[in-house]
Amino acid sequence: MSNEFAQFQEAFFEEAGEHLAVVEEGLLALEQHPQDLDLLNKVFRSAHSIKGTAGMFGFNAVAQFTHKMETLLDLLRNGQKALSPPIADLLLKSTDCLKALIEAAKTGEGIDDETVQRLTAELATASDLKVEKKAKVEGSHSRSSATSPSTSTFHIAWTPPEWMFQRGLDPLQIMKELGGLGTLDKVMLDTSRLPHLTEIDPEKCYLSWKMQLATGKDRKVIESVFEFVREDSSLTIEEATVSSFKSQVSSAASQHETRNQEHETGDQGPKPLGAILVESGMVSPAALDQALAQQKRVGEILVEQKVVTPQQLEQALHTQRQQEAAAQTKKTDTTSIRVDTAKIDKLINLVGELVITQSMLSDLGSRFEIKQLPVLLERVAQLERNTREIQERVMGIRMLPIGTAFSRFPRLVRDLSSKAGKKIQLVLSGEETELDKTVIESIGDPLTHLVRNSADHGLEPPEERLDNNKPEGVTIRLNAFHEGGNICITVEDDGRGLNRDKIVAKAVKQGLIGENDKLSDDQIWPLIFRPGFSTAEKVTDVSGRGVGMDVVKRNIEALGGTVSIKTVTGKGTTFTLKLPLTLAIIEGMTVRVGKETYIVPLLSILESIQPKEGTIKTVVGRGELINVRGTYLPMIRMYDVFVLEPEYTNPMKAILLILETEGERVAVMVDEILGQQQVVIKSMEQNFRKVEGIAGATILGDGTVGFILDVRGLLEIARHGTPVAA
Amino acid sequence: MAAAALETATKELNQQIGLTTDGSQFLTFNLGEELYGVDILRVQEIKGYTAVTKIPNTPSHIKGVLNLRGTIVPIIELRTKFNMPTIDYTAFTVIIVVVVRDKVMGLVVDAVSDVLNIDKKDIQPPPQFGAKVDVSFLNGIGKSNDKLVALLDMDRLLLDDEMQDGTKAAKAA
Repeated sequence: MSNEFAQFQEAFFEEAGEHLAVVEEGLLALEQHPQDLDLLNKVFRSAHSIKGTAGMFGFNAVAQFTHKMETLLDLLRNGQKALSPPIADLLLKSTDCLKALIEAAKTGEGIDDETVQRLTAELATASDLKVEKKAKVEGSHSRSSATSPSTSTFHIAWTPPEWMFQRGLDPLQIMKELGGLGTLDKVMLDTSRLPHLTEIDPEKCYLSWKMQLATGKDRKVIESVFEFVREDSSLTIEEATVSSFKSQVSSAASQHETRNQEHETGDQGPKPLGAILVESGMVSPAALDQALAQQKRVGEILVEQKVVTPQQLEQALHTQRQQEAAAQTKKTDTTSIRVDTAKIDKLINLVGELVITQSMLSDLGSRFEIKQLPVLLERVAQLERNTREIQERVMGIRMLPIGTAFSRFPRLVRDLSSKAGKKIQLVLSGEETELDKTVIESIGDPLTHLVRNSADHGLEPPEERLDNNKPEGVTIRLNAFHEGGNICITVEDDGRGLNRDKIVAKAVKQGLIGENDKLSDDQIWPLIFRPGFSTAEKVTDVSGRGVGMDVVKRNIEALGGTVSIKTVTGKGTTFTLKLPLTLAIIEGMTVRVGKETYIVPLLSILESIQPKEGTIKTVVGRGELINVRGTYLPMIRMYDVFVLEPEYTNPMKAILLILETEGERVAVMVDEILGQQQVVIKSMEQNFRKVEGIAGATILGDGTVGFILDVRGLLEIARHGTPVAA
Repeated sequence: MAAAALETATKELNQQIGLTTDGSQFLTFNLGEELYGVDILRVQEIKGYTAVTKIPNTPSHIKGVLNLRGTIVPIIELRTKFNMPTIDYTAFTVIIVVVVRDKVMGLVVDAVSDVLNIDKKDIQPPPQFGAKVDVSFLNGIGKSNDKLVALLDMDRLLLDDEMQDGTKAAKAA
């Protein structure tokens, strides 16, 4: 398969993924509004697109399966069938199966044939409206095997005449023609006849090929393709069954190749002989292994028999290695983002503007007089506007609404709800909150774990809820919002809440805590994040194995985030995931303390005030409180916390910033506010380590480093002291 | 063929100008009267001293951080690290930027000296002073002509506990 083709395949998989999402979403929505024809049409169109493109790329299994889904959808569309719950179920299951099929096509791995067959049959039954329909469906079913029985595989070895190019003929043209006859599964180029570069005649053709062609046409047709080059060509065309072909191909290289080969031809390939023998009990696995160990590599045998020269063998092995390497690179997930062309057009316009501004500036600079200062300032301001806008747009390309990560949950909750026999309502909010693509991709799994956990553990059965004067239907809320340069995602349920006694009992049993330890709730709850910790009485396939919560914590921490729990027994539990905006640019207020400049995230600033005499009180001599319109807020002197030399130690002369973090408000004292500025967050951890009280660093206008304040951390230091003494 | 020829030519040239390619080259620098050496392959660049931004609540030998073409690089003052008296910075004061396990860091030293070839046989193991003098960050003592070069073990020197993630330990406590 050529690289270009692989590239298009990549696009196909991406597109198919999107269409699948549309189908699934549509089906879920259809369940609520079965009469919505627009929705149904949308689902149908997406399914149809998958079928069409899959067929085009030769993923027959996918195309055939989608076709059957489409048949059923068509019946629904025509009103010949109603969307009953079993049918919705079946269609959703089929969507899953389709997803697996596409995944299998992508990775080249085998698929669960049984499920496909079962669902195919079910779909056929569901579409069984009239006898002729059934016949049609079954007809398509029989075609579903990738190669119809009449197809045979030809093994073609072709060495074109040396004069090939001189007569204006192109081997590629021949390949294309062969491809038109059927599927050209494998083309191997043999360059062993290629002379040394100094002796090469560029007009001569030194190449030869080995090909595998699956076609319904017979030998004569294939031969006719080579008609113009038949003279002086060496051409062998051998008909082969799939299995015997494999053995032939493997003769070109080692056994490893055979395995690859099986992947390529897909799941229809027969089992290796050894496996069959073992399965039927004729040979023990050990005996088979022993026999296999004695096997020589095919290449060695061939060299011994003087069928191939060692050089040719080397060549073949080289090709194999290349293919392996290619396969490897293919497996590493290539990520891409689809970007609206309008976004890119706008970006290009902006770059154009930037170039113009730059040339205007350099023009001005080359013959600058002081009286032109206002012009200069104006152009610099223009430059600033331009860069800021470009910055925003470029960041915008990477940002996606979190809704893409949420979209899988309606389906998940639907399935969980029917499985657990609980009425669960899912409420999503803040889907439009944008965050970095990489973060979105990595929070999917942790969120799934949390939602599953809420559905399984957190929610009590309907009877128990009614007993506790709660509505029978339970609600799980997913919410996303920005808070102080972070993204917060909450998973909230109105279930029974965490059971302190159970957790403590379990923790004591596992030896995590002592029996008589006095622990606060905040110390107890995080215990559920320990590996292997589960209080579920029985292990269900949903949860209870004790893996999950620790995975959640690990994944979130790997992203530089935190997980916190709030729970009220009998009322519900809220998990809050706090994630940093990677690559982010934040809007900040630059403040000065002594000679140092700090950036305070604008999102955490409520207001700034200059305190009046008498508004600051102390408790126990040291704890300072400031009265802000009737509320006393704790006051933190920033120079105290960061051990700086301030300009003012008298709060009446300094400025107080009222900051909010996780619902808490504090007043932080600084010398001066310098201004508002967008800053690029630079990692401190990359070359150093995390510093308490500092969220990151940034480069200030004069090229020096400024620190971005971590309000939460500042608070912690002020309360508990610093971990590393200065 | 050509590549092999080129390689041989390079080797010959290197031998002529007294360079070896077996990695026993050291960039040497001064701290007072003493001469220290770091493996030249660890050195990314040498730059003149510029003002750094102090990091709050960090040990005093961590001078602060510097903007090195967009990355934040911590700067360590070796004199303070080795408990030597500090001196005023001069025009010779430089920052040697080194790479230690993918982390880029800067070392403030009095002055850079030479690039020296030190044969393996001229390197002796670090001396033992017991608890009196901490020399755990030395790889060995090199001799070049009549000069003594203390060869630094960058991994041990720069990745000690305070450079590691101190917050984890703090949280656990």
